[in-house]
Amino acid sequence: MSGPPTHGEVLGGEPVLEVSELSVRRDGQLAVEKVSFQLARETDTALVGPNGAGKSTLVAAVLGLLPRQSGTVRILGQAMGPSGALPRSVRTQIAYVPQRLELQGRIPLTLAEFIGHGFDPPGPRLPWAGGRQRRQAVAQALERTGCGGLGERLLSELSGGQLKRALLAFCLVRPRQLLLLDEAQAGLDGPSGERFHQLLLDLRRQEGWTVLQVSHDLEMVRSSCDQVLCLNRRLRCSGRPDHALSPARLAELYGSNVVPYHHHHHHNHQRAGNRNEHHG
Amino acid sequence: MAELQELAAVLSQPFMERALLGGLLTGALGGLLGSFAVLRQLSFFSDALGHSALLGISIGILLGINPTVVLIPFAVLFALMVNGLVARSGLPADALLNIVYSSSLALAVVALSLVESYSGGIQQLLFGDILGIRWSDLAVIALLLIAAITYLALSLRAQVLLTLNNDLAGAFGVSTQSHRLAFIILLAVVVAVSIKAVGVLLISAFVVIPACAGRLLSRRFPLYVLSSSALGGGCALLGLLGSGLTDLPSGPCVVIVQFAGFLVALLLSQLGRPAATA
Repeated sequence: MSGPPTHGEVLGGEPVLEVSELSVRRDGQLAVEKVSFQLARETDTALVGPNGAGKSTLVAAVLGLLPRQSGTVRILGQAMGPSGALPRSVRTQIAYVPQRLELQGRIPLTLAEFIGHGFDPPGPRLPWAGGRQRRQAVAQALERTGCGGLGERLLSELSGGQLKRALLAFCLVRPRQLLLLDEAQAGLDGPSGERFHQLLLDLRRQEGWTVLQVSHDLEMVRSSCDQVLCLNRRLRCSGRPDHALSPARLAELYGSNVVPYHHHHHHNHQRAGNRNEHHG
Repeated sequence: MAELQELAAVLSQPFMERALLGGLLTGALGGLLGSFAVLRQLSFFSDALGHSALLGISIGILLGINPTVVLIPFAVLFALMVNGLVARSGLPADALLNIVYSSSLALAVVALSLVESYSGGIQQLLFGDILGIRWSDLAVIALLLIAAITYLALSLRAQVLLTLNNDLAGAFGVSTQSHRLAFIILLAVVVAVSIKAVGVLLISAFVVIPACAGRLLSRRFPLYVLSSSALGGGCALLGLLGSGLTDLPSGPCVVIVQFAGFLVALLLSQLGRPAATA
């Protein structure tokens, strides 16, 4: 490692997310070990690292979906309980875009219905409560994510790109502060991925979201993220992308097989991975 | 004409009134829970629960305790145990459920063979005796239906998100573990209570068939749940009426009507479907 890792600088005010000495076990293995970082308000942070580095595990632990072995997670100043519990006022400020949305049994759910459930707060409530307000918020969220004409489509009738934008609409339908994305662009082809990325950038600026996203697209990370966290079980490096993603640090993170490649949309990208293959 | 008079005479019997009401409530309850169970791939789970109920009844008979008293706690414990096994064993759920239900069926038959006086009642256990349903049974089923509607309506958001994606639900504040357990316990209680009317072999049909038919006919989630429940209740009523008219066994008649309803739903869904679907 060239120089000591920086653990993210908070540029002002209380951090939106503060992770301290976090260790998480998954399937009997220590998947994340003593990781500490902070996300300053309205910043965009990328979490990078090879497959199996613990990125998704870290995101799941930050969301309270996996138990922590040790360490603390504070969101908007509130400490997460041992079982992942957060006060409802904090939980409603968190949004999440999973890598895949499994449509179990082709659920008969229209896109507008789905987004409506994003508007409702957690906890028991009558299904018809807040109808008009919800409909307005849903219509706006669909419009802003380019899903305006798709409200009556079933989720199972949407393409991969439409489904990913629908997930952003789900996050957008009520004001939130922290957005976590787990390889949100996985499975999208070039144009759909670009469109999703641009939409995410626009919405982040408009909504003032603080973003933590798992990504393999190092060029995207370089061009649009404020901070990068390089994870391989432990935090190997962190800081501004131009500093943290130096060739020496990448080689250390991924091994020596980091290969440059060209996307079909002709932007020169650096791809990190376990495969020794050249594209384009 | 004479047949209709005969049917009217049968229907006016108190036992038939209770049977019709019992069928309506049990069918509606099965369709309601089935609409969630089918989407969460718990169809086979309800089948395994049904078969395990036979073991619960056998244990009750062997111990000289009223089987109805044993059945509900047994079904709940069994459901929680199997749920834990599926989560921890790492084996495919359908394979594990197959082991559980065939083993419990074998144990139940061995246990029942030890009780001479019960050998004649196996038919009732397997196919149910809805005509023998009592007012107290009806009260329990009605209360259970009210409890299920209340719980599912108030937690609809949680149920939908949980059905869609466990992590998504958890991230957006759904207490996934407690809702999963609550649903499994509810399903176990419903299966246990319905066994008397529907029988061990046919209970899963009450859960699965109306829900699948409702799924084929609905594009909106609330409509899907309501239509599954209405189809469950409606098919049970029609099946019992058919049974009264033909003097055929009631439980199988209901399942045959459910199956006919499913075929009609399948036909309607294919007719209404555009040539190329997304």
